[in-house]
Parts: sequence; structure tokens; C-alpha cells
Amino acid sequence: MKKLNISTLISFIFLLCMTLIWIFPLAWAFFSSFKDEVDIQTYGFSMLPVHWVITNYQDLLFDNSSTPVAKWFMNSMIISVTQTVMVLVVVSMAAYGYTRLRFKGRDWLFSFLLASMMFPAVVNLIPLYKIIDTLGWVNTYWAAIVPGAAAVFNVFLVRQFMIGIPLELDESARIDGANDFQIYTKVTLPLIKPVLTVVALFTFTSSWNDFLWPSIVFNDIDRMPITPGLQLLQGMYVTDIGHAMSAALIAIVPTFILYLFTQRYFLQSMSLSSGVKG
Amino acid sequence: MDVKLTENKRVDVLSPVSLKPRRKGFNVMPAVFIGPHLLLFALFFLIPIFFGVYISFTNWDLINTPEFVGLDNYKEILFHKESTFYTQLHTGLGNTFKFVIFTVPACIIIPLLLASALHVKPKGSKWFQAIFYLPVLFSISAVMIIWSMMFNVSFGPINHYFSSAPNWLGTQPYAWIALVVVTVWWGIGGNMIIYQAALNGVSKDYYEAASLDGAGRIQKFFHITLPSIKNQLLFTVVITTIAQFNIYGQALMLTKGGPSSSTTVLLMYIQQNAFGSGQSIAGIGSAMAVILGLCIMVVSIIQFFLLREKK
Repeated sequence: MKKLNISTLISFIFLLCMTLIWIFPLAWAFFSSFKDEVDIQTYGFSMLPVHWVITNYQDLLFDNSSTPVAKWFMNSMIISVTQTVMVLVVVSMAAYGYTRLRFKGRDWLFSFLLASMMFPAVVNLIPLYKIIDTLGWVNTYWAAIVPGAAAVFNVFLVRQFMIGIPLELDESARIDGANDFQIYTKVTLPLIKPVLTVVALFTFTSSWNDFLWPSIVFNDIDRMPITPGLQLLQGMYVTDIGHAMSAALIAIVPTFILYLFTQRYFLQSMSLSSGVKG
Repeated sequence: MDVKLTENKRVDVLSPVSLKPRRKGFNVMPAVFIGPHLLLFALFFLIPIFFGVYISFTNWDLINTPEFVGLDNYKEILFHKESTFYTQLHTGLGNTFKFVIFTVPACIIIPLLLASALHVKPKGSKWFQAIFYLPVLFSISAVMIIWSMMFNVSFGPINHYFSSAPNWLGTQPYAWIALVVVTVWWGIGGNMIIYQAALNGVSKDYYEAASLDGAGRIQKFFHITLPSIKNQLLFTVVITTIAQFNIYGQALMLTKGGPSSSTTVLLMYIQQNAFGSGQSIAGIGSAMAVILGLCIMVVSIIQFFLLREKK
């Protein structure tokens, strides 16, 4: 019993120290976003602002055309929400097809999809740009929304979940005269809500945080989402810590709030995806 | 004739009566349900992959028709020592490998330590867990803005609290240390959760039996814990390595590839050649992407077999 307490204590101290390291950058970023530029130049490093100001946020959100953070934020919101909805529809339908419909070569086709995940995505970067360009989607939301819906992993995750749902429910609905669309919307969708929640959260956050791809397909400052936008902003506020920090914090607010309310889904899904493969 | 036949069948299949038995004949339902995803997959994943490999054998500016040049691009970047692209590939790939070698062990060991400490369930472990996972939710650009200020020489906290004050982002080996620190801070949450789940799955009986045999804590860790979570370790090593090979944002925004290209990674050169200012050199860029892609595939295969043999 005594030994157990010692290891608990050591663990606690270790975790506490690590937590401080993890929180420090965020805390300092938060306080710095309320610092006055003149104070930073005069006093150098400080943890707390000498004078609390909100001018950094005001400048970025309301009074700025070279780094339109409010516009970027809205662009990101539109892109991420639309992509999430699109992924949910496309993926759940595909998973229904791969588990509930019988057709020649079904499992072969799905194995092929899975195997394709081995291909490294770097190779398709340049051609994908050409395809998007040909479609006339450069500098449009579609460029950031649509290609992401092609991912196979989500289909895999939903299919895996659907396999665990007994077929009897479908069959009794079919006997009652329901067709596939009715079964899909009335029977399947309500049952797979847990896995769809996970897919939705992951799609939203990865869409919000996507960096390389949108920085290639957007060069119009007013159209781009916030994640590549911050790179431009960094170049303009190289030493202006107050503005840079407020912009970074604005960019992390949506996923942070999402995490506050749905933490358990995030944590649970990580073990879900590894359990399947591991 | 053929067309008509299938059309007839389609009409037939669509009627509710024939839907129920679902026997032979062409069924449109699969096409309706999996079609949308399959179409997106083909257009935005499969075709670009093959197209990308083909482009690497061409001379292309992203606008005109690609001109087939055989292995010229590969010869140039792999063997022509006087070519700038040769230098780019060797510097870029070398730095990418360095980044992988520096970060992957840290991204395995640190979350494993955290998960082991959390496994003892000290007070507040839920909070600790939530905080370590938090940065995973943030974009690379937001994280890099925060950390480039953290490392700032004149008003950053790191130089303030540590008396010796190196120019973190402008000199080596500090630039590499900064990149590793940032990457660990940003991305270990996922691995930590995986290890936590894995540790929960190890049967307590093993530990009790080992205790009876007089095994110490460290012996237990190496002889029971590690072998028991071998699968999850393999899985995380592979996904972490693949993720780190795609290093781009950290080097671009934190060290800007410097000092003097010592942290310029291959993806930065690929982006620059294909989409940078001036005429696009997409053929060379694609050849570099194919080489990077092959490295990713090879490494994951090697790792897979290595860890398998240790069984």
C-alpha cells in the first residue's frame, strides 16, 4: 500500500510539471493578446500585460484589409461546415452500400479502397491542383471542400461500425415494405449516430486546421480560410506579438469550444481507430 | 441492343417488387449508394496519384501539355551534381530524414511516459489527459505563431527564463531542438490516448505473477508492459513516421527553412517548384514528390517487418 502511494505521488508530480509546460505557451499567448504594443517594446518579456487592451482584437476583426481575419474566419466556417455535411452524407451512404447491399465484387472493391490508403498523398498534390484548376475551382470554397470528401478512412470507420449492427432490423423494415432509401434514413442513420458524431468532429477539425492544400489553392486574400491566412499574417506582424497572438487565438477558438463540449468523443475515437488496426 | 437490354433491366429493378428478392441482374442501388464516394475517390485521389507519377516523367509548367522526357527529371535530381534541383533534393530529403529521426522517438517515448503516469490514476488525471491532448486540436499555423514568439530572442519567455540566450531559430543545433520541442508539444496527444487504452487492456494477473517472482517496477515495464502493447507501439511508430515525413508547416513558419537551408524540408522545395513564384517546374516537383512518397512507403514496410520479427 505504501509503495502504491509513492508511485502515485511520483506520477502526479511528473504530470503536474508536464502540464505546466503544456499550458504555459497557451497562457502566455492569451495574456499577450491583451498587451499593448508600446508596452512590449518598453518592458520586454512579461507574463501579464502591464495595461490590458483589446485593441489587438479590434484591429484584426474590424479595421483591417491586408489581413481580414473576420473574413478568413467566416470562410473557414463555411468550408468546414459544408465539408462536414458533405462527408457525412457521402460516407454514410457508401458504408451502407458496402455493408447492406449485395453486388458483385463488393468486398474486392472495398479491399482495393483500403489498399489505396497505402499510397502517399504527397504524390497527388500537384495533379490535384491541376484538376481543381480545370474545374475552375481555384480561389473558390469548392477547392477546399470537395477533395477532402474522397478520403477512404471515414468510410472504413463507419462500415466497421455498421457491421456490428444486426441485419434483423433492416429485414423487418424490408418486410414492412421499406426500400433501401427508407431503411437507410429511418433505420440505419439513427443507429450509427455515435460513429457519425466522431466522423463529423474529426472532419470539422481537420478541415479547419488544413494548411498546405488551402495555401496552394487560395491566393486571393479575401477568399482564403484562416489557417493559411495566419501564415500571411505572421509575415506582416513579425515582432508584433500582441496582434500575432490575438490572431492565433481567434483561429483556435472554434476547435477549442468543440473540444470543451465533446471531449469524450475525441478521446474515445482515438482508441477506436487504433483498436481496429492495432 | 446491349444498351437497351440494360436499360430495360434498370427499369425493372427500380420497381419496388423486384427490389425485395434482389437476385440477378444489374442493381442500381449500389451505384446510387457507393457511387458518389467512388466518384470523388477516383477524381480526387486515384487519378491524381497516377497522373502525379506520370507527370514526374515529363517537363511541365502546369499550363501546357506535359512533354514526356523519360527519366530525365530523376537523373537530374538524383545525379546531376551541378543542378540546383540536385542540391534541393539532397538537402530537402536529408533534412526531412533528420526531422523524422529526431522527432519520432520523442513522439513515442514522451506520450508513453505520460500514459504510464496517467495509468496510475493520480488525482486530476482526467484534467492532465485533456490538457496534453488539447494542442492536437489546433492548426499548425496558429501553433507556430505562438511558438515563434515563445522562441523570440528579445521578448520571448524562453530566453527570459534561461540565463544563456541562444538565437533559437537562427543557429544550430537550437533550430532543430526548437522544431522537435514544438512538434512534441503539438502532436503527442493521439499517441498518448492510444497507449492509455493499450495499458488498460493489459491483464493485471501478469503483474501480480511478476511481483510474486520478485520483479521490480522497471523489469515489469520492459518484460510485461512493452511486449503486451507491442501492436499499438507498431501502429503508432508507423503512423507517426508517416506523419513526420510530411513535415512542412513547422519548418516553413518556425525556422523558415533556416539557418541557411539547414531545416528546409523536401515538401517546401516541392511546393516552391510547382507553385512558387515564376514559372512552374511541376515535372521536377512531381519527381521529388514521388521520391518522398516512395520513402514513406518503404519506411512503413521496413518498420512493419522489423517489429514483426521481434515476436
